[in-house]
Amino acid sequence: MTGKPISKKRLSLDARYSILGAMLIAPTIIVFSAVIVYPLVSAIYLSVFSIYTPTMEGEWAGLDNYSRLLASGEFWRSLLNNLVWTAGTLTLQMVFGVLVALMLHQNVVFRSLARSLVLFPYFLSTVVAVLVWRWLFNDLYGVLNHMLMWAGLIDMPVDWLGSMPNAMISLIFVGAWKYFPFVVIAVLARLQSIPDELYEAATIDGAGRFARFTDITLPQLKDVLIVIVLLRTIWDFKEFDLIYLLTGGGPIISTQTLPLMVYKEAFALNQMGGASAVAVIMMLIMLIFMTFYLRKTRD
Amino acid sequence: MNDKSNEHQARSCPGQLSRRSILKSAVALTAAAALPFSKARASTTIRWWSTQSSPEQLAAYRYQIKTFEAAHPGVEVVFERTSDEGYAPQLAAAFAGGNVPNIVTHLPSFAVADYWSAGLLLPFDDVIAEVGTDNFFEGANRIYEIEPGTHAAAGIGNTAANMLWMRTDRMEKAGIERLPATWDELRAACSKMQGRGVYGAPLPYAKNSMTTLVIIGFIHQAGGQILSPDLEVAIVSDEAVNALEFYRSMREFSPPGATNYSWGESLSAFVSGATATGLYAGRVLINVSKQNPRIAEHITCTTYPTISADVPPWTFNDFPSVFIPADAADLEITKKFAAWLYRADGYIQQVHATPGHVLPVLKTIAKSEAYRDNDIIRRYGTEVERMSSAAVAGHNLGWETPHHRANVKAGAIINSGILAEMVQRVVLNEEKPRAVLANTAGRIEKIMKG
Amino acid sequence: MAQRRNLWHRIAYNVFAWAIVVLIAFPLIWMILTSLKPQSELFLIPPTFLPGEITFEHYRRLLVETPFLIYLRNSGILAVGTTLVVIVIATLGAHSLVRFSYPGREHMARLVLFTYLLPSVVLIIPLYFLMISIGLSNTLTSLIIAYTTFALPYALWLLRSFMAAIPDDLEAAAMVDGATRMQAFVDVILPQAVPGIISTALFTSILAWNEYLYALVLVNSDEVRPLTTGVMNMLVTSFNIEWSMLMAASVMMSVPLIVVFVFLQRFLTRGFGAGAVKG
Repeated sequence: MTGKPISKKRLSLDARYSILGAMLIAPTIIVFSAVIVYPLVSAIYLSVFSIYTPTMEGEWAGLDNYSRLLASGEFWRSLLNNLVWTAGTLTLQMVFGVLVALMLHQNVVFRSLARSLVLFPYFLSTVVAVLVWRWLFNDLYGVLNHMLMWAGLIDMPVDWLGSMPNAMISLIFVGAWKYFPFVVIAVLARLQSIPDELYEAATIDGAGRFARFTDITLPQLKDVLIVIVLLRTIWDFKEFDLIYLLTGGGPIISTQTLPLMVYKEAFALNQMGGASAVAVIMMLIMLIFMTFYLRKTRD
Repeated sequence: MNDKSNEHQARSCPGQLSRRSILKSAVALTAAAALPFSKARASTTIRWWSTQSSPEQLAAYRYQIKTFEAAHPGVEVVFERTSDEGYAPQLAAAFAGGNVPNIVTHLPSFAVADYWSAGLLLPFDDVIAEVGTDNFFEGANRIYEIEPGTHAAAGIGNTAANMLWMRTDRMEKAGIERLPATWDELRAACSKMQGRGVYGAPLPYAKNSMTTLVIIGFIHQAGGQILSPDLEVAIVSDEAVNALEFYRSMREFSPPGATNYSWGESLSAFVSGATATGLYAGRVLINVSKQNPRIAEHITCTTYPTISADVPPWTFNDFPSVFIPADAADLEITKKFAAWLYRADGYIQQVHATPGHVLPVLKTIAKSEAYRDNDIIRRYGTEVERMSSAAVAGHNLGWETPHHRANVKAGAIINSGILAEMVQRVVLNEEKPRAVLANTAGRIEKIMKG
Repeated sequence: MAQRRNLWHRIAYNVFAWAIVVLIAFPLIWMILTSLKPQSELFLIPPTFLPGEITFEHYRRLLVETPFLIYLRNSGILAVGTTLVVIVIATLGAHSLVRFSYPGREHMARLVLFTYLLPSVVLIIPLYFLMISIGLSNTLTSLIIAYTTFALPYALWLLRSFMAAIPDDLEAAAMVDGATRMQAFVDVILPQAVPGIISTALFTSILAWNEYLYALVLVNSDEVRPLTTGVMNMLVTSFNIEWSMLMAASVMMSVPLIVVFVFLQRFLTRGFGAGAVKG
């Protein structure tokens, strides 16, 4: 690197450390290559064919799948829905996640139980969560409508899932409820490691609650939050179960997102090639996002 | 498109990909090394997949398996559940991977048509003959005669899925004397019975398969059809416009959340007493007796009304099936097992698991004392009888009338949600029916062309 | 005086905090209440909260008449197996990414994230072929492998960020005392990384416990089926849902996780030792 003469001994130590480092990451790479590369490549490969799902046979289609998709209004609407859903639910997840983590970082009675209960939405299987929420949202025997009517806030039951913009809002909200505990867990773990001395020093210096939060807590949390935003954005963008089971993409296609289009193409229309094409486009979008995001946050 | 000769085609049509043959060789190579236990297996194993496996049904299956194994030593039957959402990807993976089950039951008829058209199923005529061709109700297996002269599968039970259910106590209160038979009567009845927290009907206006199936029924009840007997798209018609307009006019009698109702919500709406009418199959009887016994004395059913007395009722029956994949192992014993499922003792136990909902396909069973020896079947004799006769004469998108050819793309049309979207656009967006029908026709056309 | 005001503040805060907790966990409370109601109370209009009569019938039926316990065992094996595999591989990998330098390090980290970018629906069938060709179809092992592949990137990145917060001096100090890098790792770094490892282990086990689509396609016999698909197949069809048993099953699927987490709390609150922490 510089002009310094490197002794044979030090070179071999650095080299040995490099090798050790490489060995430690090797299992990860092996798992990745062996198990994911084949399906990944296979998906890209399938997207240029027109494949009949039950037999997985078909013929060359070139870029037909792609041109068909990009020309269809349905694709662009699904993409828009995807972006709205992701942005909406991510924001709520991060905000609630951080706030609740802060709240449960304080001394509250039965704190362990409180934390566990707060994590419950994340523990619950998505399929069951959706069934329960549909029941709660129901217009006839759902508790939500009845409580609102009893409180006098509404006088007719609200159609939470079958009309817009209710459907998208309900989706975003249920998605936030389901996944914000992920943020809570990670933030709580990080909060534990911020030493109290920093806060004490700031208080002595006269900093108020809010100032302590913005000047000490937030910077400490920054790294974890950056990673969480990345992971959750990708995960939310790809979300299938929740949306499919809660609204099915309706009304009409107002809540249909790209993953739902993939499923529709693959198993409803039996077009595995078309489904793979949507998936590849999704991958490219997320790749672009990931690249820009990492570049911006590496600074 | 019968693809039985795919290898041949692959050779003669170079552009056609045959992943299956490539995969078969890969699997064969690794199978030789990787499956030690195949040597140790002394007995034959039959794998049975079904989408219906509630605890009661499972008990019935276990009985059938036990008696079969006792009569055929050395054979083991393994039951593997799948589900309505799961069977599509699971079977796709199974067919493509060459890892198929021996026998699959309870899939709807359009799934069968789909697989038959890809050459994946064994002709079922032997089994039907063994059970007794005349024993089946007349026309019960016609829907499976996709190519004339051979059957792709047989029905294992009938369900009359779109019966009109009525609360007789509410009818009395509203002064309605007869069960509605025409749309005008239906509308009048719903209008009179609605009030004080009770809605007239739980009709679905959601983006799901229930809406699709219900609107197909309404179009037929208006005298129209989705496809012509030769499978040309025939949905743009006065009858379909009438159906859509009537369906739109009924919106005011359904609860606000009907825009998201699926079978479960619609069923619960009637069973819980929130609606005066229902649109469902025989499961109403079971659920009412368990969840709301208070109304058990006050329910009855009839075929769903049609637009006028000139149009005959059209009952939806998805004809739950039994089929055998062509590539399954041990086909002879599998066929014997398929026939065994229809033996009286086991079969009656099966239909008793969901009394009134899954109705027998065999004449001898339907008449037998042992079948009638069930609380619900006895109590609701008239209703069960009505459902039975309606179901036997039933149809679905795969076979719309006795004059229609089998439509192997029915599953794709239903799953694509095009018809449900059509309903939503007319009812929720208030678009003009004819324009929406024209657009829908174009989309169905694309699917039919494949 | 000030103390009294402090006390009121604390009570108010506790009430507020617990109100939020109850709101978040409301569906769980409702699920438990419903699972104790007889079927005739399911769809009352207007709906009731408390059961008119309490019955354990649905739990009994679930445990006695269905393979629920088998499914539970399978889910347990899956969760524990996947978590162990993922934690071991990811901890070593994260350590490598943070403390070592070699060419292509950053690229490998990003490459691993690549596995996330495709939706599972598309990966399913190729993955199924792969499992068949290596003779592992319809086994728990195939699921562990499948779950590892998508839990690993998550775990790696998360652990990387936790481990980056551990100061270099600790490792350096241990090595000055004569430890090798790996000894330093085990003696000094790992204990500091425990909260991070525990959180990551938690994510991974929840992921494995709740996963549905892969279990749906890769596994088809009751002996091997986990709770998610087992419960769904049994109780939910497109025409009918066995609500009462479903609620009982869901409660039984969630409550153990909650109890386990209450105990794991202790590890999450064990903070770092004294000393400056890199921001």
